[in-house]
Parts: sequence; C-alpha cells; structure tokens
Amino acid sequence: MQGATVIVFTGQFHVESFVEFVNHRARRLQLEAMIETATPDCIEVAVSGQPALVDAFEMACSLGPIDCLVRDVRRKNA
Amino acid sequence: METGWYPVALAEGLERGTSTGTRLFGRELVVWRDSAGASHVWEDRCPHRGMRLSFGFVRDNHIACLYHGWQYDTAAQCRYIPAHPDLAVPGTIRVATYPSIERLGIVWAWNELDSAAPQEIELAERAAVTPVRSLYVDASAAKVFDALVLAECPPLKNAGGATQRSRTDALVSFKNGTDEILVAVQPLSDVEAALHIVIAGSPDIHGSDSQKRVSAWGEALRRDVEGTPQARELRHEVAP
Repeated sequence: MQGATVIVFTGQFHVESFVEFVNHRARRLQLEAMIETATPDCIEVAVSGQPALVDAFEMACSLGPIDCLVRDVRRKNA
Repeated sequence: METGWYPVALAEGLERGTSTGTRLFGRELVVWRDSAGASHVWEDRCPHRGMRLSFGFVRDNHIACLYHGWQYDTAAQCRYIPAHPDLAVPGTIRVATYPSIERLGIVWAWNELDSAAPQEIELAERAAVTPVRSLYVDASAAKVFDALVLAECPPLKNAGGATQRSRTDALVSFKNGTDEILVAVQPLSDVEAALHIVIAGSPDIHGSDSQKRVSAWGEALRRDVEGTPQARELRHEVAP
C-alpha cells in the first residue's frame, strides 16, 4: 500500500479480536488498512487516508477491544 | 425481545435543545429534541470513543458529544470534529439510530437499530392529551401488564360505569365514561419497566386535579406491582 503509515501496536492480543477491531475502526474512518503482522504480542497495520483520521485511528486502536492490552504504539516510518 | 414500537419518553418532558438517556431491553438510548422540535432516538454511544451522547449538548440541529465535541446532525451523520475543523468528515462516521415517532404525547421507538420500521405505529392519535408523568418500576414489563389488566380507572371528570380496558402492543387504555387514561409500558430490562402515563383530553379540562389523581393512581399501581405493603392503603385513598 503506497504512502501508507505503518502503525505498530505491541502488548497482549487476541489476534482475531484485535484485527476485527482494527478493520472496523478503519471502515468507520474511511481508511484503507492492511494487516502486515499479527502475533499475540505485536500487530502491524499499514493504513492510509486523511492524516487527521489516521491519527484518530491510532488513538482508537490504542484502546483496543476489551480482551487486548496495548502497551505501546509507534509509527514505523515516522 | 419482541420487535415493535415501544415508548421511550413523555414528549412534553423532552424540551427543545435537550437530551436524555434511557434503556430499552437493556440497550442504552439517547432521546433528544432538536431546535426545530423534532425528536430523535439513537444508540447512546458516540462512535469516536463510546461516550454516552445523552451526556452531550444540543446546539441548533446538532448533538455534540461531551468528550471531544464531535457533532452529529439530525440524520446522525458526524459533521464537525473540533480538533480537525478543516477535515472533510467521512460519511462512515455516524451514530446508529432507531426509527421513532411521537404519538399520544409519547415518543416511541422501533427497537431495531438502523432499520426502516416495517410497519406503521397502530395507535390512533387523540385530539389532545394531558401528560401526567413517567414512573419507574422494579418489575418486568410482563408483570406490569398483569397488574394493569386488573387495575381500575380512577374517576376524573366524566366517569360512569365500569372501567373498560384495552391493550394495543405496549399501550393500555382505561376508559370510564368519557374519561380515558393511557399507560405506555417501556421494558427497560428484564426486571425493570417504565410507565408513561397520559390522559386523553385537553389540559384545560384535565388540569392539575386530574393529573394529581392519576399520578397517585400510578404510584399505587407501582407499589402493587413491586409488592410493597402500602399499596392497598394508597389505592383506597384514590378510590371514589
């Protein structure tokens, strides 16, 4: 995905649950999101769209679903 | 949970430019009235961070979330995000809504999110209604209906003969002579219900005297349903 921002979430994840959450929030914010890595301790998402909404996406996903714990968020190509 | 029209508020209690929170079958709803006078029933949840919209502010024809000020128009579409004033807000950011209508001085909602109500509300409008009050009962809606079918209508202005009761979905009508009391039952949860009580007829006829009488009748009914010992005593007080 060209021009995408890669956001790396680390913590403790139920992968299916977090990926569903990510895709739901991306749809709501009209962003394109692609999961690049999905393990129980790291989820990487390439996301593109309006910058303000990418920021909102990062903020929304930093909370995550109830069964996941996000300990850190960083941008890979920032 | 049966699909249908359910009461969620007394219309008069919902002033222009205000919002309130309520529940229907355990789901949280915001009921709000815009500055043009139209009422709206939505899921009580801002799509941004999940804050209750019933805590928010109504400004003109928008309701704004208390948390970050995201503003939603009357179609539930987000139109403005204060942190990003120049942002073209995508159409995907919107609140889930319930079909709603005002009838008999009561706000009704169809209990399916983001649906078009498949049937019209069947309640016939009255020429005028006098609002009495909403009452909250620690009992299921089914238990409330069981009590209502046995209740007697208190005499108002034009009583005569025995009370005639009829039920249409969530509404029970009590007629006595030309007096008519209407009680709409809102299932808040499996164990809680709300009664929205109105009198058919103009407030000019059913002023505070009838309202007080019906209000006391409603309280007695609640005590009866909840099983408190004062119930029978209070019923005697409002009896003819």
